[in-house]
Amino acid sequence: MREEAGARGREAGELPDALVAAPGAPAARRGPGPGGWRERPDVRSLYRLAAFLAAAYALPFAVGAWAGTVRLDAAWLAGLATVVLGGVMQGGVYAMFAVGLTLIFGVMRIINAAHGEMVMMGAYLTWVAFFAFGVDPLLSLALTLPLAFLFGMAVQRLLLDAAVGAPELTGLLITFGLGLVMIYTAELLFTTDFRTIPYAPGTVVLAPGVAVGQNRVISFLMAVGISTAVYLVLRFSRLGKAVRATALNAEVALVCGIDVRRIYLLTTGLAAALAVAGGALVSIQFGFNPETGVVYTLQAFAIIVLGGRGHYVGALIGAVMLGVLEALVSLLVPNGTAMVELAAYALLIAVLLIRPGGLMGVREG
Amino acid sequence: MMTRVGPAARILLLTVAGAVLPAAASVRPAAAAHRPGNEVLIGGAISMTGRYAEPAGRQVNAIKLWVDELNGRGGLLGHRIVLRLLDDKSDTQTSIKLYEKLITEDRVDLLLAPYSSGITEAVANVNERHRMPFVAYGAASSPIWEKGRRYIFNIVAVAEDYQKGAVHLAHRIGVRKAAIIGEDSLFPRQAGKGAREWARKLGIEIVVEEHYPTKQTDFSALLRKLTSAGAEAVFSNSYFADAAAQLRQMRELNINFKLYSSTIGPSLPNFPEQLGSTAEYVLGFSQWEPLPHILKHPGMKAFIEAYERRYGEKPNYHAGGAYGALQVTEAAVRRVGSFDQEKLRDALATIEVHTVFGRYRVDARGMNAHEGLTFQILQGQRRVVWPDKWAEVKPELPMPEWSRR
Repeated sequence: MREEAGARGREAGELPDALVAAPGAPAARRGPGPGGWRERPDVRSLYRLAAFLAAAYALPFAVGAWAGTVRLDAAWLAGLATVVLGGVMQGGVYAMFAVGLTLIFGVMRIINAAHGEMVMMGAYLTWVAFFAFGVDPLLSLALTLPLAFLFGMAVQRLLLDAAVGAPELTGLLITFGLGLVMIYTAELLFTTDFRTIPYAPGTVVLAPGVAVGQNRVISFLMAVGISTAVYLVLRFSRLGKAVRATALNAEVALVCGIDVRRIYLLTTGLAAALAVAGGALVSIQFGFNPETGVVYTLQAFAIIVLGGRGHYVGALIGAVMLGVLEALVSLLVPNGTAMVELAAYALLIAVLLIRPGGLMGVREG
Repeated sequence: MMTRVGPAARILLLTVAGAVLPAAASVRPAAAAHRPGNEVLIGGAISMTGRYAEPAGRQVNAIKLWVDELNGRGGLLGHRIVLRLLDDKSDTQTSIKLYEKLITEDRVDLLLAPYSSGITEAVANVNERHRMPFVAYGAASSPIWEKGRRYIFNIVAVAEDYQKGAVHLAHRIGVRKAAIIGEDSLFPRQAGKGAREWARKLGIEIVVEEHYPTKQTDFSALLRKLTSAGAEAVFSNSYFADAAAQLRQMRELNINFKLYSSTIGPSLPNFPEQLGSTAEYVLGFSQWEPLPHILKHPGMKAFIEAYERRYGEKPNYHAGGAYGALQVTEAAVRRVGSFDQEKLRDALATIEVHTVFGRYRVDARGMNAHEGLTFQILQGQRRVVWPDKWAEVKPELPMPEWSRR
């Protein structure tokens, strides 16, 4: 069943159940087959991708060795470990931005330009809970996530239903407008002053010289926990199967008795809840104000393009890849911190050249 | 004088202005004769929304306060002041258009400055062409005044001096190697340039100088790099979000510097409150603080009280600077005795005024030698620690290690 669905999706250029497929699964599932290289562009591009990525991640080290910033003593290695770990943690935060965006795109083909503003809303909800009511940022999720879910459903019913199936620009414009409304509402309520929550400022020492911030560990575990839970729901529950079926082909799903409008409703609700969870992570790690959401939208968008549009696991992997690459470039290359964006987008472009569908994506028809 | 406007800026000007501007260099009427009801119109565009809305909003507060006070005192040269403040949405292009409109359509009698170096630089080309002067209170990048412009004056200290106090304090506690980091944009780069210059004068070696993109949130790699280069102090040319992330990650990674200073972040009112104990011992720069007993500028106390009564918070330096610039404008108009823009320009270029913000007296470029101050966050309060003549307390440096806090 799944086999068929996947194959059909590829042929039609629609999103297959790759929405949740494991890394490398599309190629592996088909088996080696008799066709050899020519019939297997996917496999071939995977090898090319692997070669490219090895080179890409080796490059900062090469530059570092040339510039003399690489020293192979214990202190330097501990520093490197810390930095790579930091990159992975950062990737976890990026992933929280990206999964909600990829979900909406996968199911409805709508690019939610208000996604970053939903993240920002989450940061403010957490902030209000903390400063006005003294609620722990993690506990407050119990309250803010259902709220966000309802908010997402309202957005779907009132705005996005009109954009499903319409040209992609329609949804983009509607969500862009929604984003502006959210920004200015937040400015009205909270002014443009920056906020942040002083939460778990301590450090976790993993080995001599290898340390990572408490709030980052908490954020990362939360990101992993939430995205795993969503993954499992999408993969194994009836509801998840219905979501995937709708992503695959809404009309056929409808014929099979799936209430597609309800699925849209739940998808946007879930995406909003994921964004708000991402906002909670932002609020305990970074400073934010009503304007910062735009940056998150851009980052999330870059990640889902890198990972494969609409591909859930791809977004997670893409996020961690970006986080680690940025950290390595920043550490090893002279004046590298100014180049992290360059490195990130160079990676994005190169990956897209090798695999136009993104890391986990499939070639669109 | 001849190369006032760069070629790119000139093309921009032509395209923007060409449509709306029938009489580019017309000489303006000497007084507010064209307006009924004995009113003069004072106008400007400032960022009431968008990314600059926080600092610019406090300047708006000060401007409104000044207008109401002035009208209460009987107006300017017997005219009642009408304020026309427009919102440029923190956008340069919008600001240019609004200034064109204010000058050519609304025909304002006095111009107010916008906020931020970038927007001020762009607007400076507009008012220069219409020969209407203003005193900038939201721009600290000196290149604006290094292009031979005649109609723009400055009241605040320039970016190059933002780290001056921090570098001096680093020198005093024996720092030999330091790092300069900052956001990759005009103002932080200028501040970095100044810091490097001061460090060179005082014999501090800059071991790393690195800029990061605006959206950067993860500084752990950069901080590691600083420690492995042996930096003992960090001069960070940063705003709220980046300074907050740097400090947090220093604490998380247990990276200890003897001194950490940031140009903008710590001077924002809620920085200590939002960061809690992580903000302690951080050095910051302020153009001005509402401390009349220390700075002793004339009229400070009355201004601070009036502002606090009206807005429920003490004015910060943005508010103080805007108010000071308006005091200068008022003094110049009174000296000239009319709203003749050319005479007003000459007055602004030569006048000496003691404002609530400090002394105003510009050099040939139009820049004021305003003296800022360096503070340290101690027990959640900003306490002035430099220059010595204004120091409230002795700086607590080197900063204690994170493990001992």
